[in-house]
Amino acid sequence: MNPRGVSIALRGVAKRFDNGLQALGPIDFTLRAGEFVSIVGPSGCGKSTLLRIVAGLIGASAGECRRAAEVETAFVFQEAALLPWRNVERNARLLMELEGYKPEVYQPRVAEALRLVGLAGFEKAYPHQLSGGMRMRLSLARAIALRPGLLLLDEPLAAVDELTRDVLQEELSALWQQSGFTGVLVTHNVHEAVYLSDRVIVMSPRPGRILDVIDVPFAFPRAPELRASAEFARLTGEVTAALRRPQYA
Amino acid sequence: MSDPNPSIAIAAPVLPVAEARASRLTELARAAWPVILVALIAIALWYALTATVYKGKGFLVPSPQEVAAAVGENAVSLLLATSVTLKEATLGYLLAIAGGISLAAILSQSKLLERSIYPYAVLLQTVPVVAIAPLIVLWFGYNDLSVVIISLIMSLFPIVNNTLLGLRSTSRNLTELFTLHKAGRFTAFRKLRLPAALPHIIAGLRISAGLSVIGAIVGEFIIGSGNAQGGLGVQIVFAQGRMYTALLFAEVIAATLLGFFFFLVVSSIGRMLLKNWHESALGQ
Repeated sequence: MNPRGVSIALRGVAKRFDNGLQALGPIDFTLRAGEFVSIVGPSGCGKSTLLRIVAGLIGASAGECRRAAEVETAFVFQEAALLPWRNVERNARLLMELEGYKPEVYQPRVAEALRLVGLAGFEKAYPHQLSGGMRMRLSLARAIALRPGLLLLDEPLAAVDELTRDVLQEELSALWQQSGFTGVLVTHNVHEAVYLSDRVIVMSPRPGRILDVIDVPFAFPRAPELRASAEFARLTGEVTAALRRPQYA
Repeated sequence: MSDPNPSIAIAAPVLPVAEARASRLTELARAAWPVILVALIAIALWYALTATVYKGKGFLVPSPQEVAAAVGENAVSLLLATSVTLKEATLGYLLAIAGGISLAAILSQSKLLERSIYPYAVLLQTVPVVAIAPLIVLWFGYNDLSVVIISLIMSLFPIVNNTLLGLRSTSRNLTELFTLHKAGRFTAFRKLRLPAALPHIIAGLRISAGLSVIGAIVGEFIIGSGNAQGGLGVQIVFAQGRMYTALLFAEVIAATLLGFFFFLVVSSIGRMLLKNWHESALGQ
């Protein structure tokens, strides 16, 4: 249903703030078309900055971030970032509306996206009537409706409870498998990173650099029980160890 | 994926309309009785005072029944005066709303603009209205226009200030979202910043509601003597000159109720606009 995910080449990407503080990089990395990559790293290592550079929200102070093709890009924030005065349906169509799509184009796509995240039947509800998990689903539906070639997620599940988080991870993974976008997730949660990703990027403290890239070999779709397997534990252990590794290498 | 997990897919129940209306009426009654009780106690105390300390001194503190009699005798002129003040204050208030929101919208477009103009908006507020009112009358004449302008000046600042505050309080994530999806300045204003500012704007309008009536009455004080059938401000000056204190009381009460009426109208419009989403209007 979606255009294929886009591949993105990062070459020497770095960010220095106006006050001279080196926040990030240099980063060299190639995102393959349609893969799901997670970025983990200590607080303040610049992973959100990296995500914003990839989104094109902010510019890098050095290096380049090249996309293989022009695609729709969607960004999902930690807070669902909904418009409280719009109901579910009108929130879900916001990005398509801003991008200038006509109602006859966005209406069926929005309906489909809401069905995919399990919000069909809630079209007329307002955000304050939804649970935290449902709000995040709506935020995902809003992004998915756009049929992005690139979906960037900045700790989207950090604010929901443990049980909801597991369910939402499974749903997010299913969405990704159906839609085929290239996904980049910033998270503090090592289990989440391993469960969702083809590859996990481990970053150093500021200025954030890539310490390690860990391949996650499990085939998709991944069963929820995978999280309890020994191999899963071994991989999360590996990521955690990489995070703790002293960085004079 | 097709079925939402029931443990997390729980929405707040939405009351049927009729039921909601009925519960609103009982709620209104429940909310109103303490207010009515306080009013009754106040009138009783007032009566007690005029029956004892101020007995026979109706020119200082008239009794409730004297005020009621004054209202009866002067019903027509009271209504006329109230309607004049209502008209002036409404005009001043509407102009302040249009001007205040537009000014804030313009100022919010650029930091430089805001820094250069905003201090003068503050000055407009700090200049005592009573002090510039004669100047306004000098410029615009002893007429309704002057009163409208004074009412406008009086009620402008809270609207400008609150609207600006609201327009600046948009969440960073939403601003980024609009930028990412190539929303222009105007689209972002219309679809994001203005609606996000609405609760603040309404708070400003509520403050200004009473101020616009105060402004109109101050204006009428100044233009007063030249005009036989003026608004409440004019009539208050007349009543004072005639030592007709009971009527003065009635006029003060009418002026107060007028401001309160403005406030109620704005509050209910605000509640209607915000009913679906803002904390201040939820569950009311």
